[in-house]
Formats: sequence, C-alpha cells, structure tokens
Amino acid sequence: MEILDAHTHVDESPTLGWLDPPEALIPLLDEAGISRAVIMAYSDLPGPRPETLDYVAGAVARYPDRLWALIRLTPRHPEEAKRLLVHAVRERGFVGLKLHPVSFALPPGHPLVVDLIRTAAGLGVPVLFHSGDDGQSTPLEIAPAAAACPEAAIILGHMGGYFHTADAIAVARAHPNVYLETSAMPYPQRIRDAVRAIGPERVLFGSDGPGCQPALEVDKVRRAGLSEAEQVLVFGRNLRRLLGRSDKTP
Amino acid sequence: MILDAEIYLGPNLFGPGLDEAALLHSLDAHGINRAVVCPARPPDYHLGPANDRVGAAVRRHPDRLVGFARVDPHQGPAALAELRRAVLDLGLRGLLLHPWEELFAVNDPSVEPLLGFAQERRLLVQIAGGYPLVSHAVQITDVAGRFPEVSILATHGGQINISGRGLYDAGQMLRARPNVYLQTSGVYREDWLEDTARELGAARIVFGSGAPYYDQGFELERIRRLHLPSGDRDAIAGLNLSRLLALI
Repeated sequence: MEILDAHTHVDESPTLGWLDPPEALIPLLDEAGISRAVIMAYSDLPGPRPETLDYVAGAVARYPDRLWALIRLTPRHPEEAKRLLVHAVRERGFVGLKLHPVSFALPPGHPLVVDLIRTAAGLGVPVLFHSGDDGQSTPLEIAPAAAACPEAAIILGHMGGYFHTADAIAVARAHPNVYLETSAMPYPQRIRDAVRAIGPERVLFGSDGPGCQPALEVDKVRRAGLSEAEQVLVFGRNLRRLLGRSDKTP
Repeated sequence: MILDAEIYLGPNLFGPGLDEAALLHSLDAHGINRAVVCPARPPDYHLGPANDRVGAAVRRHPDRLVGFARVDPHQGPAALAELRRAVLDLGLRGLLLHPWEELFAVNDPSVEPLLGFAQERRLLVQIAGGYPLVSHAVQITDVAGRFPEVSILATHGGQINISGRGLYDAGQMLRARPNVYLQTSGVYREDWLEDTARELGAARIVFGSGAPYYDQGFELERIRRLHLPSGDRDAIAGLNLSRLLALI
C-alpha cells in the first residue's frame, strides 16, 4: 500500500531552534515506509528569512522522487505573497500553499487570507491550514474561508488538534471542499470517526515529521480500524488525486 | 517492567469512564505490569467516594495498582482532610491535581497545604499539565519551586499545544526544576522526548497513558518507537516510575 505524507517540515529555524534539514526527514520516511512527503518551512514568506524558498526548493531538487513542496506565506504582504505563490507553483514546481494563521495572526476569513486562497485555487493547488487549538486556527474559524472559496481545496492540518477534532469533522461535513489531515493529534479513534462522518475520500494521512515521528503516525492510522480500501485512500490515493498526480506520474 | 503513570478509574463527568475490569483487561492486553490509578471526577461531583473506589481497587489488586488521591483545592481545609483520609485510611500513595477539571490555577495558594502534606508524607504528585490558564508550564514551574522536595509528574510534559508554542516553556520548566518529570500522555512531538532524554537524561521522563482520554496502546507505542537506547526506553516505560514510587 502506497503511503504518502501530506504534512512534513524541512527548514532550519534558528529562532525556534528547530533544525530539520531534509536529511533528518528522509530516514524517518524510510523507517515509516512512506514513499513521498509534502514538505514545508517553519516560517512565512515574505519574512526575515527570504532564503527559505530556495531552501525548500533545494530539498525537493535533492530528493525529487521523495518530496513535494508547499510554499508557506503570510497574507499580510498581499501583493508579494501572491507573486511568490504564482512564482513557486508555475516556475519552481511547488504543489500548494501552507497557511499558519497563528504565525501571521489574521483570522482565516480575513479578506487578505481569502484573496490568497483564491489565487491558490486559480492555480489549481490546495491550501493546507494549520488547524489546532490556538485562536485563529480552530476549525470553526477556518470555516468562513472555506465557505468563501468553495473552489479551493482546504486541508485542516492536525484536524483540530487536542480539543477541536469534533469541530473539524463538523466543518468538513458542512463544506465539501474541506479535507482532514491526521498528523500530531493523539486520538486514533477520531480518524475512524472522521471517515464514518465524511467518507474516506477527504481524510489524508500526515505525520508532522520530523518533529512527530512518521512511523508512529502511520501506526496511529493503522489503529483507527479502517478497512483496507479506506486505508488505500487515506494513506495515499486521496493526496495523489488532490495534487493531480495519478499513480503513473511521479 | 512497564508502568502506566496515569489512568482514570470510575464514572467520568467529562467523558468516557473506565471500570475496574476494563482497566485491568487493558493492562493485560498491552503487557503493562502496574499502573497508577487516579479517580475520575464522577458525574455527582463527589471526590470522596471516588477516592474510596480507587482504594478498594488497590486493595483487590495490590500487585497491579497504585492509588492516587484526588481532591479539590477550592474546598480548603476539607480538601486537606480528604487527602489525609485517602492516604492514612485508604492507603493511597500519591496526589492527583487536575486544575482543568477542578478549575483552579495550579500555583494558587490553596494548593500549598496539599503539597505541604505531600512533602511530609513523601507522596508523589501528578499535575494535569499544559492546560491553558490553569496549568501552563510556567505555573507548574512556579509551584514546583516552592516545594523542591516534592516529586511532580507533569502530564503532557506540561504542554498541550499542537503549534509547538508550549515547548519552550516546558523545556525551561524541566531545566529549572529537577523535581518535575515529563509524563508522556498525549504529548506533542517525539523529537522533544528524544532531545529531553539526551539533554537532561531519560530519568526525567515517565510513561503515562492518560487512559481513557488517550489510547493506552498508542501511548505505549509512542515510547516503544523512541529513537533512544533500549535502556532509556526501559527507564521511561517503567523503571523511573518504579523508583519514584519506591517499588524497587
């Protein structure tokens, strides 16, 4: 069964002290039996570390058969963010947009955020939100963005974190363009709940590696009691469909 | 030797409850030798009968279960009286403080008489840690500094934040307070466990499942898969807690 990972990190952030080059991630993917992973940085662009774009693109260039990349942006610089998004997708091979509202401190339904999501949708790429328990990242706060951009594929990373998984499932049930991504939240059973509530096609495996251990995150989904067919979708086929990558294309 | 530092017994006001038979079955199913059993807060709010329930379970299974008392600091002298009763009459061996479910700040002065008693009787203390406003790592750091002789297990390692924004304060808590232990239930980020073991020693980390809030098998798997020497994993899985409870 092919395992693709919808949420991992490659970055070296001296501010956070999180130093995770691709060489830290790849062995963990190998250990977990994950064939490819979507990587993203720990900080937003435009920002104090403009080299992040080249760093992430460089990681994909070093491991082209293992990694895809999202560009992580802050809508607080609307024109530059849009320019970077178009550049990253059209010219650098990035496959989507990462938004971390706790980092850029805007409500997800804010017009500047919605505008950037629409740009992503126009480029045909999905948007992965950090969705946990902090204000401006909870599922019900992201729901207005999903409603405002029904043409955009919105992924709730961590599917609501520790306290908001029920809200994440409810938001996905209400909005057919919302997907749930399984990383880091500690409840195997909630993955089963999600599949029962919204079907297996919009639940995506993610690990949040290398901080969270990819092999453990795979084990978590295995514990959810999904059928073989459901696991095929959750572990890989759904992400391939979302990224427009058939089984035959790399 | 596997010990689980945190399981809640009995009917639970806040969610699923675990009865004694299910609890023991779960220990057997996961190869767990012993467990610290804490009272869940029952739907009728009364912690005294919940402590009695834990005491009875421990008397029936003294080789498998270690009981912790649970009291509500809001009750002032009555809380201390209940803790004394639970320890002296029921034979419970530790104190659970659950600031989120009893709704108190863990560094509130009302907690001090309870920790004073814990110090006097050499009780192990467990704090439901990382909950916003009530048991943030800096609050645990504060109260733990007033009772440096009391060993304290901080559940979730004192941080419940999937953005990673609790990691800094929790790390500083462990560095500043050698009497605080990182208890692993539901914890965010395995690399933090591994880094902490390398920096401060695996002796500072204690496995707990937090069942039934968390999945006991998955929580144990979290420890089994840590990228640490097997001796460190064994220490985390049970030996550290055995030592803290003076079982070995």
